[in-house]
Amino acid sequence: MIITRQKTFDEIEAMVDDHDYNKIALIGCGGCVAFYHQGGRKETVELAEKLKAGSRDVITGIANRQCYLCREEDVRDLNDADTLKKVSREIEGFDNLDGVEAVISLACGVGVQNLANLVEIPVIPAQNTMFMGKRRVRGDFDIEQCIGCGDCILGLTGGICPVTRCAKSLMNGPCGGVFKGNCEVSQSRVSKHPVPCAWILIYKKLKKLGRLDNMKKIRPARDFVKSANMRMLEVEQVG
Amino acid sequence: MADRLFSKFMESVKSREFTISGEIDPPKDVNREAVEEQVSCLKDHVVAANVTDNPIGDVIMNTFAPCVIMQEMGLEAIYQATCRDRNRIALQSDIIGAAAVGIKNVLALTGDHTRMGNHPQAKPVFDFDSVLLTQTIRKMVDEGKNWAGLELEHPPKLHVGVGLSPGLDPLEPEIIKLEKKIEAGAEFAQTQCVYDVRILERLKEETSHLEIPILPGLAPLRSIGMAKFMLKYVPGISIPDEMLKQLETSKDLKETTIDMTAELIRTVKEMGFAGVHIMPVGMDAQVGEMIKRSGVR
Repeated sequence: MIITRQKTFDEIEAMVDDHDYNKIALIGCGGCVAFYHQGGRKETVELAEKLKAGSRDVITGIANRQCYLCREEDVRDLNDADTLKKVSREIEGFDNLDGVEAVISLACGVGVQNLANLVEIPVIPAQNTMFMGKRRVRGDFDIEQCIGCGDCILGLTGGICPVTRCAKSLMNGPCGGVFKGNCEVSQSRVSKHPVPCAWILIYKKLKKLGRLDNMKKIRPARDFVKSANMRMLEVEQVG
Repeated sequence: MADRLFSKFMESVKSREFTISGEIDPPKDVNREAVEEQVSCLKDHVVAANVTDNPIGDVIMNTFAPCVIMQEMGLEAIYQATCRDRNRIALQSDIIGAAAVGIKNVLALTGDHTRMGNHPQAKPVFDFDSVLLTQTIRKMVDEGKNWAGLELEHPPKLHVGVGLSPGLDPLEPEIIKLEKKIEAGAEFAQTQCVYDVRILERLKEETSHLEIPILPGLAPLRSIGMAKFMLKYVPGISIPDEMLKQLETSKDLKETTIDMTAELIRTVKEMGFAGVHIMPVGMDAQVGEMIKRSGVR
């Protein structure tokens, strides 16, 4: 899942007020942000109520998946007005975004950019997109699990990612900063919540699996060509 | 590779003499005298001294300048290189530069995280880790090639050592990492500071299958406050109760600290370690006395 945290209301309101937007559409998302109660139907309505308190004209809607609102080829030949109509039809809650001065998207960064690419209306993000991760079983933390490095080594590390879960993304075992089994970056002087050292977790898991030999091999330096910015993947044509 | 000796430090280690290295802390500004003062205190007592690389990520004078000053004053430098602030390009470039001005020893470290110091917002690099840095330096020195495989007509000639944290629990992952560092070409190891003989005993036991010369690290405990701080915040630190009591009841702290450190130096030698690495943490002027009282010379 994409883990997000909603921006503070003050920050969102400031972006609206900076440009005196009065007619605003709030678009939630039925994907990850809904699952983790950051930008689903309920949160969209709640944010709309707060914005209405400033006597603004606010409408709300939900896109099933904002990251997959319309296919690029479906709108490629349409003019702006027709694109807007098509996008509007994909959103449950209203028929037309026409006349809206600004859209506030409650989706992740991918959803925001997808929407902004489709409509010629300013789009304001309501979320800070944090990472790819999951909610811990006890529910008190969302934890990052994948950094998208483009070169997965989970098969060698007992299914625990050192690139993501080691503060230094180390490839060859723990550093000297293991404090009582936790990463010293998470210890009390700099952070409130102790986080287990990823390499100690990997060590314990590999030991259990009888595969400690995986940890004994020198792993080569990472190839950052695979994870540098501006990544694009060619898609194989189906059919 | 039999006569592959570039430095006095390595010569001493190889000769099986009990080798003592020191350490200086570069100042946070352009205070050359602060470097000279530390070097003056150490130069007659240690074979070589480390120059730290912005420990915990605080901004201080770089490693390079104090190494040069130190060597001009006649004390051999051990250049600490960490992976925190430099990618593989900068690391190799610095090693080449260091070798060009006559630096003969490098300590390859991963480095503290940027979050620990006074610039926590800085981007942590960690393109390499200590294992990969060690491997790359050895490749430059022995094969005359840089990481990318390009030939170096004039390769650097220096020795590479590594760090080791003997107080970590569990210790096995740290030992596995040391084995990898040795496989990568590490020629010596200096450890995180140790105060507890049990830690030294465990280290001896767990590394008995390894050839690498180990110099346990000692940092004089200057006060009970320092001891408590280290126990609370520094990973892998264990301090025996008796030592804490000594500090608490001491009538002359400086004397107590010198005696305690001297005792540890003696113990390290008696246990058969290759040497000892003294990090004076401000007690540079007392290092000579600590060594003298230890009776190791």
